[in-house]
Amino acid sequence: MSRAHVDFLLNEEKISIKDLDTNITVLNYLRNNHELTGTKEGCASGDCGACTAVVGELKENKISYKSINTCITFLYSLHGKQLITVEHIQKNKLHPVQQSMIDSDGSQCGFCTPGIIMSMYNMYKNKIKPTEENIDKFLSGNLCRCTGYLPIKNAIKNMYSYKSNKFSKSKVIRLLKSIKKTDIVIKKNDSKFFIHYNLNSLIKDYQKISNGHLLVGGTDLALEVTKKRKDLKNIFYLGSNKDLNYVKNKNNNLHIGSATPINDILPILENIYPTFAKMFERYGSEQIRNTASLGGNIGSASPIGDSLPVLIALNSKIVIQGKVKKTLLLDNYFLSYRKTKLKHNEIIKEIIIPIYKKNILKCYKISKRIDDDISSVFMAINARIEKNIIKEIKIVCGGLAETPKIAKKAQKFLLNKIFNEENINEAKKIIKKEFDPIDDMRASKNYRTKISQNLLERFLYENNKIKSTLY
Amino acid sequence: MDKIFTKNIEHESAVKHVTGKAIYTDDISEPKNLLHAVIGYSNCSKGVIKKIDYKDVLSSEGVVDIITEKDIEGINDVGPIFKGDKIFTSKNIEYYGQPIFAVIAKTNNLAKKAALKVKIDLKISKPIVSIEEALKKKSFVLKPKHLTRGNIKYGFKKSNNILKGKLYSGGQDHFYLEGQIAMTIPQEDNNFLVYSSTQHPSETQQIIGKVLKQNYNSIHVIVRRIGGGFGGKETQSFLFAAITSIAAKKLSKPVKLRVDRDDDMIMTGKRHDFLFDYEVGFNNSGEILALKIMMASRCGISPDLSGAINDRAIYHIDNAYFLPNIEINSYRCKTNTVSNTAFRGFGGPQGMFCIENIIENIAQKLNREASEIRKINFYKDKIKNTTHYGMRITDNVIEDIFNKLIKKSNYKKRRAEINNFNKKNKVLKKGIAITPVKFGISFTTTHLNQGGALVHIYTDGSIHLNHGGIEMGQGLMTKLALVASNEFGLYYENIKISSTDTEKVPNTSASAASATTDINGAAIVNAINNIKSGLNEFIYDYFKTNSKIKYENNFVYFDKRKISFKELINTAYLNRIPLSSSGFYKTDKINVNTKTLQGRPFLYFTYGAAVTEVIIDKLTGENKILQVDIIHDVGNSINKRIDKGQIEGGYIQGLGWLTTEEVSWKSNGVLATHSPSTYKIPTAGETPFKFNVEIYDHGFNKEKVINRSKAVGEPPFMLAISSFIALKDAVYNANKGKNSENLIAPATAENILKSLH
Repeated sequence: MSRAHVDFLLNEEKISIKDLDTNITVLNYLRNNHELTGTKEGCASGDCGACTAVVGELKENKISYKSINTCITFLYSLHGKQLITVEHIQKNKLHPVQQSMIDSDGSQCGFCTPGIIMSMYNMYKNKIKPTEENIDKFLSGNLCRCTGYLPIKNAIKNMYSYKSNKFSKSKVIRLLKSIKKTDIVIKKNDSKFFIHYNLNSLIKDYQKISNGHLLVGGTDLALEVTKKRKDLKNIFYLGSNKDLNYVKNKNNNLHIGSATPINDILPILENIYPTFAKMFERYGSEQIRNTASLGGNIGSASPIGDSLPVLIALNSKIVIQGKVKKTLLLDNYFLSYRKTKLKHNEIIKEIIIPIYKKNILKCYKISKRIDDDISSVFMAINARIEKNIIKEIKIVCGGLAETPKIAKKAQKFLLNKIFNEENINEAKKIIKKEFDPIDDMRASKNYRTKISQNLLERFLYENNKIKSTLY
Repeated sequence: MDKIFTKNIEHESAVKHVTGKAIYTDDISEPKNLLHAVIGYSNCSKGVIKKIDYKDVLSSEGVVDIITEKDIEGINDVGPIFKGDKIFTSKNIEYYGQPIFAVIAKTNNLAKKAALKVKIDLKISKPIVSIEEALKKKSFVLKPKHLTRGNIKYGFKKSNNILKGKLYSGGQDHFYLEGQIAMTIPQEDNNFLVYSSTQHPSETQQIIGKVLKQNYNSIHVIVRRIGGGFGGKETQSFLFAAITSIAAKKLSKPVKLRVDRDDDMIMTGKRHDFLFDYEVGFNNSGEILALKIMMASRCGISPDLSGAINDRAIYHIDNAYFLPNIEINSYRCKTNTVSNTAFRGFGGPQGMFCIENIIENIAQKLNREASEIRKINFYKDKIKNTTHYGMRITDNVIEDIFNKLIKKSNYKKRRAEINNFNKKNKVLKKGIAITPVKFGISFTTTHLNQGGALVHIYTDGSIHLNHGGIEMGQGLMTKLALVASNEFGLYYENIKISSTDTEKVPNTSASAASATTDINGAAIVNAINNIKSGLNEFIYDYFKTNSKIKYENNFVYFDKRKISFKELINTAYLNRIPLSSSGFYKTDKINVNTKTLQGRPFLYFTYGAAVTEVIIDKLTGENKILQVDIIHDVGNSINKRIDKGQIEGGYIQGLGWLTTEEVSWKSNGVLATHSPSTYKIPTAGETPFKFNVEIYDHGFNKEKVINRSKAVGEPPFMLAISSFIALKDAVYNANKGKNSENLIAPATAENILKSLH
């Protein structure tokens, strides 16, 4: 029997909810139901970070913290978690991140400040070293239009030098433990919100419903609510499903549960494919990486989803679970623009990434802005080069067609060729004819084509140890 | 007026900012029965409405009413100086995002849902979208303006070299983090209390008065703080406050309108993009002898502030350079796009962008170090010190700042290192540039240069400070509280900063043109002097003294006595001495002929210079800012912490304008970049860690401005031009000395790649 209410901690208060709209976002809940107006709406699309809050989850008796965009987080997905808002972190005296921000003059108009404070709080709680790289990474999801960021960066550099008041977490841990993690169905009018903790029960319920929406990070789905103002009738939250949240290294393959947040994948991925892991540093923002999943990226099948070309280049497979389970090469999954072989009663269960030990993996992302931007062109190259002969090569591009696509002709030409300028120049001519990209606000057709050619050149230069990348 | 403020305190709201306790309009406790408005707007840029069907809108859940043009009792226009900004259209669609109606519903979400259900039958026609099209069709919002000085023919004749070319600088969305918002609450006698996120409460009041056909005294506007403005809430906020007021009056209920980010970006004006066509004549040492410029800007559908913005572009085409023979033809193009508006710098950045590019092109043509060409052309002290609009420059410090910065930033050494780096690297190429800023302070519309204040002392000696300026993050309230604290000799903590309120200080100007502290600060001093002269009279009389009176450290000193300020005030009160006064200030000396543009539009100039070093990737056009060094003149600063924040923030906002921020219009006039997912303002990653900002240590305002400080809001924005010129230099270096004239702004990776040969 499923439960019909969701329990979570709002700061340190246990809250039980069941009568609210199933589409309500955490941001609107905080502002409208609790008058906790410190959390701001800047964009309602997860791009500006003014709504940032921190979520605490119990992991092996400890609370692990991560920042989220509350504007695209559905309230009911908080079950079993602690939500920490900007109003809460000051106890007796200002929290170190707050005092440091004041002393560094990190706020001007102040509207983005609560969100930035919470991103800093996230760093602080996770004891992130304030290196330049980390600061940029952890701030990537917070826009500030006034300060130019320098004083905020200084505030982060200095924040660990302030003493913080130590508070016992035992109450929070006790409260979190008291929340049962069993399946939940919230019913409000004709809408439902499902939370499942295992795959079988999820599949069972999901099969029964024809218009279910799968939810993990909500970067796409929440915008249907906040921007298109749709009513989503049946939402299935996968973020708490233990059968979909894991990373395992098994028989030279990486098995990743489809709902595993990107940031949970990175520690393992860093050792296997450092360039792939590095690519993820420019994938959305910290808040997005804390919740978004590979399954979501594959499920929404965007032609500019950054992980897709890399996964295809690595000959990754996906496991699809419906009435039966089937395994599919990711490259065979895409049909046309945002259309795939996934049927309405199926879900992506797992992504299997083969581990190539002798190969070079390149992940080239070109976008207008470096952080938190969508690619205009993405190119992934998986190659094995022996004695300067290209023994194996897969070139996959995003942003050049309606789906992520293999540059079949170019890679065929390069196979077994000497890896030199002459052959790369020839491959450049071939790839130019291979795609017919579109013009849009991110990049023109000509630019996209030129980039696809020049990235092949970059590949050569990098192999020849010629400095050719800034990022 | 010339006292030194030594206390460098933080922003008055800093604690509230970091704790989430600072209240913005959407955070105000909502009144009972509050209704929410959402605007329904056109989704094409030109056409005629044949039929509108509101049936589904009205039957949508939670809808109370819709309002349209018919509900407007007064004028259907929120244009500030010139008319042309309709609230609602009922027939002709003139731009994408033009408001047609507003839905009033129980929640914002229900209102938006309903608005999306409207069915509009349209006859679409072909719009004018680009500047080029508008020029060709002579489509203008205002008459072209022309300015000449010297003898252009003679200048060209004397020139050994002539360069011709085109330049383009792009638009820019303000992207204030707090979107547009207004809330109107009905009061008795058909009066209305309006909370609006605006830089201009007085004009909000006036416009609502005109729209509702009521006296201005029935409209009360309050603004405590706004979450960023940058010019985007100087006039663009009026539409929303007008709509909530129309609805509040019609329904006798409070109404709030919080604009969704995408709708905000679609419905509100942006920075003018500019097209320049230039011909420049110069001698072999790079000295400009003749300059002919055609400048045309995309103003959108209405004049709004475009006249003054384009005037300011003309006024800043010289930047810091003496241009002996010049002819400027300025066109204010009318396009079927949302009306472009004020944005930090107000045309100044565009004018400076033009001349800095021209100078760089001259340097490239002559194969000379660009910083030398800049110096050769600087205004001088005794000669060559009059601008093309006839104003004599008497406060010029650019050469000193420039030379100090070249030294401090190791410019010459770094230039050599860059050349070396570029020789060694095939794909990555570096560039560097130093550019100056000279920016004129004052509203060029002379009558706007006035300000008011109202100062109260309560009987416990605490001060309540009111003035006409708006706190939008620039630290205005902090600075003005410091001014008051200084004048009264009271600790800063005794000064209560209050909301800006049209019932306290009337007929104010917008918080704009960087002059808000200058103008309101002087008005505050005037008010305080009024009170103090009464107090002084009282002291002479009551304490039977004629000694000098000093207000310091919460005490008042005379003879050899000292009494606390509090005691003085209480005694004064008991003796019926007035403890409150209004204050007023108008900027002297300025006047200008609006036709010829000749005269003295500015009280003074601020100066600064920036060095930016960049690196580009020849294969992709990707680029990175490596280091920024700045020296900027703020006069004798009232608060260095706040001024430094303005300099750093201004630079990065300018960097965004010139690099990643691309306003993209489709050929049918639809805005393609209307959300932060497609319109990219800088993130932290764009700000280099090597970012050295120094306040000019000889800063002093020759004019009697408060504390001899200088305005700081807009000028630093233009320091970022050095980033664009550095990118241009990198492209030039990558092109192996062939020119990089083709680079347009914003210098996106794509535009950089395009300019590489």
